[in-house]
Amino acid sequence: MALTPPARLSLVLPGFENIKRGWHNSFETVAARLLPGEYFVTLNDEAIYTTLGSCISACIRDRVSGIGGMNHFMLPASASSDSWKAADNSASARYGNVAMEHLINNILKNGGKRQNLEAKIFGGGRIIANMTDVGMRNIAFARDYLETEGLKVTSEDVGDTFPRMVVYFPATGKVRVKRLRALHNNTIVEMETQYLHTIEDKPVSGDIELF
Amino acid sequence: MKKEITELVQGVGDLVTLPDVFIRINQLVESPNSSAVDIAQAVSQDPAFTVRLLRVANSPYYGFSSSIDTVAKAVSIIGTSQIRNLALSTAIASSFSGLSNKLVSMDNFWRHSLYCGLAARKLAVLAGKCDAEAVFTAGLLHDIGELVIFNRLPQQAQASLLQVLDSADELPLYQAEQQTMGFDHAQLGGELARQWKLPPMLEECIEYHHDIQSARRYPRETALVHIANILAQMAEVQTLDRDDVAPINPQAWEITGLSAADVIETTVRETQAEIAEAEALFFGKAFSS
Repeated sequence: MALTPPARLSLVLPGFENIKRGWHNSFETVAARLLPGEYFVTLNDEAIYTTLGSCISACIRDRVSGIGGMNHFMLPASASSDSWKAADNSASARYGNVAMEHLINNILKNGGKRQNLEAKIFGGGRIIANMTDVGMRNIAFARDYLETEGLKVTSEDVGDTFPRMVVYFPATGKVRVKRLRALHNNTIVEMETQYLHTIEDKPVSGDIELF
Repeated sequence: MKKEITELVQGVGDLVTLPDVFIRINQLVESPNSSAVDIAQAVSQDPAFTVRLLRVANSPYYGFSSSIDTVAKAVSIIGTSQIRNLALSTAIASSFSGLSNKLVSMDNFWRHSLYCGLAARKLAVLAGKCDAEAVFTAGLLHDIGELVIFNRLPQQAQASLLQVLDSADELPLYQAEQQTMGFDHAQLGGELARQWKLPPMLEECIEYHHDIQSARRYPRETALVHIANILAQMAEVQTLDRDDVAPINPQAWEITGLSAADVIETTVRETQAEIAEAEALFFGKAFSS
């Protein structure tokens, strides 16, 4: 029998109205489609999915209450510093810090407890041969950030030469990672490159709320 | 729709140069009056192809026990229709280099195609009752319409690819193409094959590899290429989990008499083991990964 999904679409936390969401038959649930630079947090039993080239997605949830979300980011190449250390205040690491802080702070703001948080990280592939391995830098940043914040990484699928499709179900913590065919490489690289241009052109503002 | 496909195909005439030696052999094989001697002569007029032919004939790909050192010997051992396939297959990268595009690298495109050809050839040997070497060529050419779409209609092609990603990779690309353009790469490839007067078996495998029920003359070969296409995707992304790739039409197993449990894992593993050597043989280099 057909379900009546559209009613559930209205249950979105404030600030995420612009994230594209829709019913997915294969997931049998509503799913939010994340693009590079976006993040999404939900209290619902719904899915969040994205495609990753050399970008990283962190999936973080409160394992007790089930609130959780996903981000999608990368560090721009930085002329001033090639350090990716999370504690480093270099311009480059700032983008990663902001992406992680937005996600974690939003989960906490909506009722998540810091001591209950668990994290999974995905992406950082090297999908264009002979390109500098920006994926590896992103992976190193994410691991270092989560370690510094004391968040346990319960699983990861990172690096290698494939683009990925990641589907995350914050309510249960379940993740489905699918390697995508090389046919999609250039489309994914172009999406990530466009995102990179937008952050390189626009300095990060400093208005992070801390909890 | 039909008109648009025809116009697109006519528009690529100058961008694709099928080797002269293939065109001559193609005519000779189709002609009832020609002999193996005529074909050997046509081959000999193309020194570059002669070298490629002897290299392939002596490679482990064929595994002949005695060395093949003359064109006449190659033609008699390999067979005239297979020489025709080789004339096409071994010059494939240069024939289609005019269709380069920004959406997919030629290396990645031909790697998938070669995986499909290798898998199709193995499946054809297992299934029997068909020409395995011709099925290899069909596998190698199955997505040729895609190159035309990527080159001639880059915006619609990109929209189709984005639609696939937005669907979380659930919508097959050929269906996204149908929604975006009203036709897909298989139909377009079939029209190319007709216009180039490729053998009807190749034409049918190219045109119906996503729609095997429609293959009337060569259902067996078409079903083999259909399965091989999915196994090629598994080999590419290094998985043996069928949920990671597009589904195989169950009818393909009935038509070919093959069983999924018997062939999938061995075929995927064997093609992965052979791909680097096959790239060197058919493309003169191993692709970067």
